[in-house]
Formats: sequence, C-alpha cells, structure tokens
Amino acid sequence: MTLLSWKTGLFFAGIVIPLLLLLYFLKLRRQERKVSSTYLWKKAVQDLQVNAPFQKLRRNLLLLLQLLLLASVLMGLSEPVANFMRRPEKNIVILLDRSASMKTVERDGRTRLEHAQEAAAQFVQALPDNSNTMVIGFGATPSVVSTFTDDKRRLERLIRDLEPTDEPGRIGEALPLAIAYSSNLIDIPGVEGSTVPEGATQGIADIELFSDGRIGDTDQQFITRGQLRYFRVGAESDNVGITAFDVRRDFERPGSLAVFVRVENFGPVPVKTDLSILLDGRRLPGAGSIREVQLGAAAPPTTTGPADAGLPSAQNVIFEFQHEAGGVIEVRLHREDAFAVDNVVWAPVDPPRELRVLAVCDRAPIQRVLRKAMVESFDVREYQTMGREEYEKAADDKLILGGRSAYDLVVLDDHDTNRLPPGNYLFFGGVPKIDDVSIGDEVAGDPIIFARQDHPLMRHVAYEGVFIARWRALQLPKHAVSLLEGPDTVAMAMLTDPGHRYVIASFDLLDSNFTLKEAFPMFLQNALGYLASGGLLEARRMMRPGDTFTMNVPADAKKVKIERPDGSIDEEPVRAGGLLSYARTREAGVYRVQFDDPARTKEVFAANLLDPIESSIAPNESFTVGTEAVESVLAETKINRPLWPYAVMAGLCILLIEWWIYNKRVMI
Amino acid sequence: MSRGAAQPLLDADFLARLEQLEIISRKIHAARNKGERQSKRKGESAEFADYRNYVPGDDIRHVDWNIYARLDRLFLKLFLEEEELNVSILLDVSGSMDNGEPSKARYAKRVAAAVAYIGLCNYDRVNLYAYADSVVSTRSGLRSRRVLPQLLSFLEEAPVGGGSRFAAAARQFALRHTQKGVCLVVSDLLDKSGFLEGLPYLIGRQMDVYVLQVLSPQEMEPDLAGDLKLVDCEDGDVAEVTISKMLLDRYKSNLQAYCESIRDYCNRRGINYLLTSTTHPFEALVLTYLRARGLVR
Repeated sequence: MTLLSWKTGLFFAGIVIPLLLLLYFLKLRRQERKVSSTYLWKKAVQDLQVNAPFQKLRRNLLLLLQLLLLASVLMGLSEPVANFMRRPEKNIVILLDRSASMKTVERDGRTRLEHAQEAAAQFVQALPDNSNTMVIGFGATPSVVSTFTDDKRRLERLIRDLEPTDEPGRIGEALPLAIAYSSNLIDIPGVEGSTVPEGATQGIADIELFSDGRIGDTDQQFITRGQLRYFRVGAESDNVGITAFDVRRDFERPGSLAVFVRVENFGPVPVKTDLSILLDGRRLPGAGSIREVQLGAAAPPTTTGPADAGLPSAQNVIFEFQHEAGGVIEVRLHREDAFAVDNVVWAPVDPPRELRVLAVCDRAPIQRVLRKAMVESFDVREYQTMGREEYEKAADDKLILGGRSAYDLVVLDDHDTNRLPPGNYLFFGGVPKIDDVSIGDEVAGDPIIFARQDHPLMRHVAYEGVFIARWRALQLPKHAVSLLEGPDTVAMAMLTDPGHRYVIASFDLLDSNFTLKEAFPMFLQNALGYLASGGLLEARRMMRPGDTFTMNVPADAKKVKIERPDGSIDEEPVRAGGLLSYARTREAGVYRVQFDDPARTKEVFAANLLDPIESSIAPNESFTVGTEAVESVLAETKINRPLWPYAVMAGLCILLIEWWIYNKRVMI
Repeated sequence: MSRGAAQPLLDADFLARLEQLEIISRKIHAARNKGERQSKRKGESAEFADYRNYVPGDDIRHVDWNIYARLDRLFLKLFLEEEELNVSILLDVSGSMDNGEPSKARYAKRVAAAVAYIGLCNYDRVNLYAYADSVVSTRSGLRSRRVLPQLLSFLEEAPVGGGSRFAAAARQFALRHTQKGVCLVVSDLLDKSGFLEGLPYLIGRQMDVYVLQVLSPQEMEPDLAGDLKLVDCEDGDVAEVTISKMLLDRYKSNLQAYCESIRDYCNRRGINYLLTSTTHPFEALVLTYLRARGLVR
C-alpha cells in the first residue's frame, strides 16, 4: 500500500487530534448532586425548552446535528467544487515561450514572461514530490534550461532566471526536442537499476506549454508522443508595430535612399501616431522626417472584411532622401503601447560603392550580353573582361587584393578553373575545380521544373519561360543548395565554402534562351546584390533576432569586437578561413563589428523583429498542432474537483451520530 | 438513618399533651371489636337509642318490662353499640424521604408516632404500614398505650430506602386491611409512577383518608447553582441542568402545580390534604394544623 497523500493526512491529524482533545477538555464537567426526585426537574427543563425556543437552540445537540445534516445536504445540492491544481503525470516537460511577444507589458506592469514564469513555478510547486520535470525555453530556437529533475527549488529558480528575447516564437525545434527527451524516458523492461534513470520507469512525459500562443509554426508540428497542454498567459492586445522595413538605393541615382516602412495596428481601437526617421541618431533635416499615420482597428479574427471600411489597419510609408555617406537609419513609432520591441527598426546603409566585376569570357556574344547588363543596366563602374587564358596567366596582384579576390564578383563563361582566391564566383557552363564538385553526363531536352524562388538569387526570376537545350548533371557536396532543377538533375546550384561563394550553372548560355529573357537581368541583379554584397542592396545587413550573421574578415585582422545593442562588447577571435559568424543576436537592435586591422574596418548589422505574428500580441485562444486543435487553459485556472460526495458523506456521518445520541439519550 | 435519630420520636411533655387529644372520624365505622366509639349498629352500650316491637326470637333480656307492665305489650329497648376505631398510618420510607435537611423521614415518623399515640390513648386500633415500592413492614392491631414502646421501636427501625410506588403499596394495604377507619398517608408524594393512582384503593375501602405531604426546604426552595448533574436518589436517574433563575422559577411553579393537582384531586374525593415543610415545627403541626383539619380533637 502506498500513501499518496500522507503529508495531507499528517496535516489533518495535526489539526483534528488536538481539536478533539481540546473538545474533550472543554466538555462540561457537571457537579453531581443528589435530589429526591428528578421528576420535577426534568419537567421544568422540558417546559423551559418548549417555552423558550432559543434556549432549545442553545442546548439541544440533536437539533444542532439536524441543522448540520441539513447544511451538508444543501451543500451537496449546491455542487461545491474545490479548485485544485491538477496533479499531472510524474514526468513533465515545461515549454516556456520567451519570444518577443512575451515582452508585452500587461496591465499590472509585469511582462507576460514574468506571468508565465510565475505560472510555471506554481505549476512546479503543485506537482507531486517525486515527479520529474524538464524545462525548455524557446524563442526562434530552443534552449534546455533544465534536464529532468525533481529538485523543485532549483527548477523554480531556473524558471525565474530565464531571460526574454526579441526572437520570433517558433516551436518547430522546441517541440521535437521536448518529445525526444520525454520519449527517452520510456521504461526498458527487464533492465533494473544502474543505467535507467529513476524517471524512466514513469513513462512518457506530458508537455506543458506556457505561452501567449503567438507562435508562427504550430500548424507544421506533430506530437507523436505524450500530450500537449497550453497554459495561456496575457490579456493585452493594444499594439501598433512596424511589420515590414526595407532600405534601397536608387539604381539610377545611388545617392538617393528610399526607406519603406509598413505600420500595422493590432489593437481594437483606431490610432493616430507619428513615425519618424533618424540617421545615426539625428533627425533628418526637412519636414518629411516625421509622418503621421492613421490606422483603423484591427479586424477581429471572426470577420472577413476590414473592421473599418474607411481606415485600413495597416499603412505603408516611404521616406526618400539624399544621403551619399553610410550610417544607420532608424525608424521609430511615437506611441507608447504594451509591446515596445516592434516600435523601432534599424537599417545600416553603406555609402554607394563602386562595384568591381570581372568577366572571364572568350566569346563575343556572351561578352556583349554581360557588358550590356552590367554596365548599361546596373551601372557597374569597374567592369573588366579577360580571356580564359589571360585569367589563368594574370599576375596575382591583378586578381588578389588583401588576401581576397580583387573583384566583388567574377563571372566565368565556359571555363573550369582552380584559380579561385577567396571571393564570389558565377560559373556559366563551367565548374570550379575543387573537391566534391564534378560534372556528369549531358542532359538534353529536359524542361526546368523547379527553381528555388525563396533564395535571394532566384527572387523574381521568372524561370517558366527559360528553356535550356542541354546541360550537364552536377555532382555536388551535400551542403550545396540547388537553384534550378530538371526532372532528375541539377542545372544550377550554389555552394558556400569558407571564404568562397560559388554559383554554378552547368549549361552554356548559348544553349539556352536565358540571356534573351527578362529573367536574366533579374538574375544578374540578384547575383550582384547577393554575391557581390553590393552597395545597391542592404538586405544582407538586416536580420531577425536570433539569426546568425556572417562576414568576411579583412586580412591582418586578429580580433573582432562586437558592440551589442545594450552597449556591452563581445570579443571574438578570428578563425581561419576569413569568415566571422556571430549568433548572439537574441536582442533586436544594432550590432557594430570592429576589426583590429590597419583600416579599422567597421561593419554594422541590425536585428529587427518585423514579424506580424509576434506583433499581434492578443493571446491566442487555441492553435492547431498538426491536425489537432490545442485549446488553452488560463494559467491561473485550476481544475475543479467536485465536493458533493464529501458533503453527502458528512451528512451520513452526522445522521449516524444523531441516531446514536438519540438512542443513548445522554442529554435531555 | 437521619442525624435526628438521637432525638426521641416523642418526648414526655409532648406525650402528655397528646393524651388529651383523640382521633375523630367523620364517618361512623363498623368494627369487629367493641370499642369506645359509637357505632351505627345497635348494641349493648349504656346509651339508649330506641324502642321497637318484639318479634319472636328476640332476646327477652332486652324487653322493657316497665312498658309491658304499663301497656301490656312487649317492646324491645335498643341501646347504641360502641365500637373501636381503626387508625391506619401509611408511612413512606422510600429513599427520597431520607433526602433533605431536616430529614423528611424523621419528621414523617414523628407525625406517625404522634397520631398513633393519640389513637392508642383512645383505645383505637392502630395499624402501621411502612412502604417504599411496596409495603416493607407492618405492625397492626396495636391498642392501648401499653404498646407505645413497640410502636416507637417499629418506627425507629423502619428502614428508609428504595424506590417509591404508592399505588402498589396502597393496593397491598387495601387487600390486607378490609376494615373501615381513618387512614393517614405521610409521604413526600414524589412518586414517578403516579401517587394519585394509589388513592382510589383507600377510597374504595370507605376510609376516612388524610394525606400529609412532607417536603424538605431544599425541595421547596432549591439552593442549587451552576451546571449540575442531578441524580435521583431512588432510581439513579440523571438530569443534567444548568441552573438559572428561569429554571428555578419553572421548577417552583411545577412543584406548586403538582401539589395543587393533588390538593384538587383530594378535595374532589373528600380526602384531607395537608402540605408541610420539615422546617415547620412538628408539635405545632400536630397540635394545631391536624386539629384544624379535624383529624384530632
């Protein structure tokens, strides 16, 4: 026999037994007196009881018992319930959402994360003593806060120490992690003691999610084992945020900057607010730096049309101004709301830079096409053409500058080479002579059936009209990304090696109509922007919180200092290969990277939330995981346990006592 | 026994005063033996009653010869018969009589002794019955003052204790005692089985019944206070009470109502009822109150 609640039993024994003794001591000790006859006394007492109802109430134990019986019956009829925290199974995985929306400040001045932390801590407290609990915090990526343990105090401390992030909420990695951990606890029959942890004998864990339900990717998840319960926290919904942001230099006039901002109202009431733009922390001269935006109320989730026909809940704002130098553009919303992370965005801009492009090409038609596109269309100022042999024989100092390629982009036509100083290369009809890359059989007449259009290189490239007469099947390492595919083979792929980026098209440009289609200049523009990290496009420098940014390290640089948005400075050593990766970007803001090279290179990156799911802070009542809807329970809500059986039991006990007293007649 | 046991039941002075009294009966009773009481029957006393014609068979000794001489007719001269009086005393010796101060049992015994002595002095036949839940001891047929020591010793030795059932005792008495006479019941009348149920047995025997209720001052004016467990001294029955003025008032009014109910019953059946407290002087009771009630003269 196991006493599950022996502590409770002990607790009540501690109360009831002294109470019983106290009642025993309090019991009236009457003095004994002999009288001739009790006949008249009894009659007097009875008369008194009959004539004085309040005397009877005070004295009659039977009446008191009857009243108690009645009270217990009435109590039972009114269906009393006790609010108990559910006692879940003994293995629990707590998923604690610490994405950006959890930074929302609720009415009581505390953030959602603090509410969730408190709810989770209470939940842990209410668990049975020998239950094993694991805690995973997640934003865009999960982190294991605590592995399975039954140390409640430690769990509580770790939960309370969890810090918020500005990352968008993505459960895609956290959920499989939780399921994996919980599934590993399954008992192995026949194995006793040593290797199996204590919790292993207790089966699959339940997953308890403490969140506001603003998670972007729940519908793509599946729960294969255990059960997911969602404790909802938060109530606020008032928020106006910036959900899209981009900065572009004009193609024609590189000195001109266009800043595109989309402002959206997620609150229930229309708002009017100001939007201002700053450059390096200073307001731009001129009247256009502050714009007023009027936004309608957000459409309730149940209606399909806009909530306010006259006023949409979102508005696009474009700032245009002349700026030849570099700097950091900051766009700020002048409105206090519950969620501050999306009220400001940053974008680093570089000064317009002369792109240096080298075309290695012997064939005149191709040379013409490339020159036309590069020089005439994209205004590439430094465009050089070399023959294939000339390229192979060229002096190092012509091709290499500071340990890297002297050109931002090298386009090679129908040429396989191993002369590849660190840099960016675009191959047409040829391959880099490096390990793992080779060319297979020729493929002829196959259509292009797939293009990776979400890749920056293929964005807006209309591949449907492109016909490629023949290409050669590419054999690539696994980390290569295919960009164009036929039915069985890859026609174009991108390969990233330390210091190098290659885009390899295995077809001859003359064997396709690619150069005749508008897809070609679009592709070249993407290649210039993406590969050459050109001065025209700044997208590379902007990222989501939690993303990793990489950059080429200048030659001679030994150390790098990264100034974080909160002013703290991280120092990172420079690894071999000339690439720097930095992943501690959980906070939104500007990250300034400085190298200790002679040129004191300074690079700026900006992390912006720009996530409508996070900005829409109203807590989600339910969401779908796979095909299953997960309803929320309020984190404060506890499980009701019916008490009427206890009331009925109490009533029966009172009835028995009454019967016994009635028969005993110890009292008049 | 009570603390007053040392004191004699009757002292000499009081005896002398009692000798002057006699028990009177409102009824003329027929007794078996001749006594000093006038009987309804015509008999052989010296007191002339009437004449009647002689019929054959009459005792010629009672013929009035003077009348025969004058009228030449036979007349019989009738005289009043004188008979003895039966005085029966039913004395309650149940446990409740031993309760209270001064003792009710002692008081009752003294009353019984005094009345019995008056009867003895007048050549009445005195019968003593001590009862509790039945008749526990009897001394009957006492006559003449010579038996006074027997009378007193019987009373002194009568055991006090046990439950109280007057009805059973009266029934026993009525079965044993078929003669008419005066019957005095001395008791506290605190009988849970119902005192009044016993009286019809006495009335049925054509007796001249006197009921003397003796109560102690503790019963009439209880000096109780606080939370008490009252134990019945006869049957051990318990009453748990919290003494309050209300309860005391209720008790007193109940006692009064109880006594009144008995008085009312007695009045309607020609029974003499007298209530006394043990604090009331016993001599005054006998010499004044019993006389006023017509038991003694």
